[in-house]
Amino acid sequence: MLPEGAISARHVWKRFRADRSKRDLRDSMRRLKAQLGGRRTPWTWALQDVTLDVEPGDSVALLGPNGSGKSTLLKILTRVMYPYAGSVDVSGRVGALIEVRAGLHPELSGRENVYLYGTLLGLRRREVAKRFDDIIEFAELQQAVDRQVKFYSSGMQMRLGFAVAAFLEPHVLLVDEILAVGDASFQHRCTERMHEVLAQGTTLVFVSHDLAAVEATCRRGLWLQNGVVQADGPLAGVMGGYREWIDASAASGGTMDGIVRLRRTTVAPPRRDEVPRSHGPLDVELSIESPESTPATVCVGITEGTAAPIILLERQLHLAEGRTDVRCSIASLPLPRGRFYVWVVAYDVKRTLLPWQPAGSFDVVGPDLDRSPHGIVQLAPVHVETTWDEDRGDAIPSAPVRRLGSSRG
Amino acid sequence: MTATRTDVEPGPPRELLYRRRVGLVAAARELWASRELVWTLAERDYLARYKQAVLGFGWALFTPVALMVVFTVFFRRVADVDTGGAPYPLFSYLGLLPWTFFSTSISQGGLSLITNKMLLNKVYCPREVFPVSSVVVAGIDTAIALLALGALFVIYGFVPRLTSVWVPVLLLIQVTFTTSVALISSAVVVHLRDIRHALPILLQLGLFATPVAYGIDTIPAHLRGLYSVLNPLAPVIDGYRRTVLLGQQPAWDLVGLGGASSVVLLLVGYRLFKRLETGLADVA
Ligand SMILES: Nc1ncnc2c1ncn2[C@@H]1O[C@H](COP(=O)(O)OP(=O)(O)O)[C@@H](O)[C@H]1O
Ligand SMILES: [Mg+2]
Repeated sequence: MLPEGAISARHVWKRFRADRSKRDLRDSMRRLKAQLGGRRTPWTWALQDVTLDVEPGDSVALLGPNGSGKSTLLKILTRVMYPYAGSVDVSGRVGALIEVRAGLHPELSGRENVYLYGTLLGLRRREVAKRFDDIIEFAELQQAVDRQVKFYSSGMQMRLGFAVAAFLEPHVLLVDEILAVGDASFQHRCTERMHEVLAQGTTLVFVSHDLAAVEATCRRGLWLQNGVVQADGPLAGVMGGYREWIDASAASGGTMDGIVRLRRTTVAPPRRDEVPRSHGPLDVELSIESPESTPATVCVGITEGTAAPIILLERQLHLAEGRTDVRCSIASLPLPRGRFYVWVVAYDVKRTLLPWQPAGSFDVVGPDLDRSPHGIVQLAPVHVETTWDEDRGDAIPSAPVRRLGSSRG
Repeated sequence: MTATRTDVEPGPPRELLYRRRVGLVAAARELWASRELVWTLAERDYLARYKQAVLGFGWALFTPVALMVVFTVFFRRVADVDTGGAPYPLFSYLGLLPWTFFSTSISQGGLSLITNKMLLNKVYCPREVFPVSSVVVAGIDTAIALLALGALFVIYGFVPRLTSVWVPVLLLIQVTFTTSVALISSAVVVHLRDIRHALPILLQLGLFATPVAYGIDTIPAHLRGLYSVLNPLAPVIDGYRRTVLLGQQPAWDLVGLGGASSVVLLLVGYRLFKRLETGLADVA
């Protein structure tokens, strides 16, 4: 028997059908025929021989680019999915924040939804009732409890969902990229609440693209790459390796091929003897090789290294058979000093032509951002040119009239 | 196991393959532990439905009453139904109550795993809570529809016979059978999506394959045993009419066959559900 709060996942394998086909009769017949004809249905591995043992009270970060199997591993730990091979044992009450809005019903009021979601997460109604006031206070929805949730903003829904889950008091808490949305102050409170829960001895497995939040929260790291464990150990070491990988794959440019290939990525100002500057121009040039002539949507993202972009630029275009050169000219770069990464994805109506991946990096020369006061989390490091004017009236010195003015950005 | 595997992809060794074993007893115990969830989901569906529908709770009355009127006005004209002396509206309404319960359970419950796929993919709970809560919702509808039965009794000055004490036994078979079919159809619909389009048609046919508008004696005597095994609702409906309207015992031989068949279907269906459940989130 495992002690409460322990996780033991040994040699876990998970596969999915490679063809995301419709599940209907005709499809089943076709598959049956293929099987009788000796052909096997194609599968792809989402996890291969992943082992994760966690002691009660420990905190583990799952690192890895999109599609590396982090969500799949969390789903297997919550028993939402079952592994193809291996063994999984999680003891004690498991609380999973996979998509907190999933449990809410738009037609019901906030109050009804708290009960619904609480029971879904495994609480008794009595237990929900006991926590009800705390939940509503944490979500700051006192004014809106009796309104239907379909009239809530997505931020309010997010808060409601997280608040219910935050008061679950589980032995094991699994969190999957839920903090990617929501306003900064609420994110900060979520992070704080997670620290509180950790301090109470809860085991945490945490997935986030916010590497800073991960570093502030977790002691251990498990780095997945295409479903294979790349590194497992104290967070600092694993994180170092992961960051290096991000840098390396950004530098090498276009490591992953899809249906089309990214031959070359150039990120530089239009005048090649200059360096990228804050509020200066920047050109991103992609050289794409396609086996066929096809319409495509190309998306260029600028990130801090993770898969979550600060800026996303999209363009519908036509790829010729052979090489197509695409240039995206940014007139004015709203970024502060630092290193940034260019990520690229290409898709058409049916398929992903090129998976979302780092394609290049660049260093920006310019001002630093203003330091954020304690308790305020800044979501994206965007730099805006500003000037401030202060105009003090003489009559009432205790209530200064302030006018904010900003120059062009 | 002599067949050599020629996978290009490396796979796990055979002895590692994950086998999920759930005993029916353990599964039933877990379902029992989730009873509050079943209730909350039923409540959710109910509230959501009546916040949208203009007719509100009257909707539960509308379907069986409308069918009863249609049957009384049209069906009786073309077919001569032997009701054993009871008023035809009462006779048909007693058939319509269990039928509506069944058909609502299956049409809602059959799709319940698809309509709740957001949840299936994100939160763990024994998956049978979704079809079972649809059966509960249909049960609440039936309870409301009982009001019309009461009204019919008053209109016809009819008092239920003492033999009505057998109703709970019949009810148990009705619920067992309905739950089994709801479990099976919900799990199958996820894996074979186009069945969902066939479901309403199958239910329509079911209405005529069940002695709702007519009596069970329309079926030749030597076939009634088989009929009761295939469609346990038939002896149940016949039983309601005998006990409530005619003061007779249910036809115990047929009821016994229907009951046995329901229990077997529940065991098989629950097992099938638990087996298909393993892959639900993968395809949802
Ligand atoms: N239900 C599913 N059916 C088919 N493929 C899936 C399914 N869920 C995930 N996958 C595939 O498994 C891989 C891992 O996905 P995921 O666990 O979501 O990665 P991550 O969370 O690290 O981004 C991806 O290639 C994804 O396409
Ligand atoms: Mg994910």
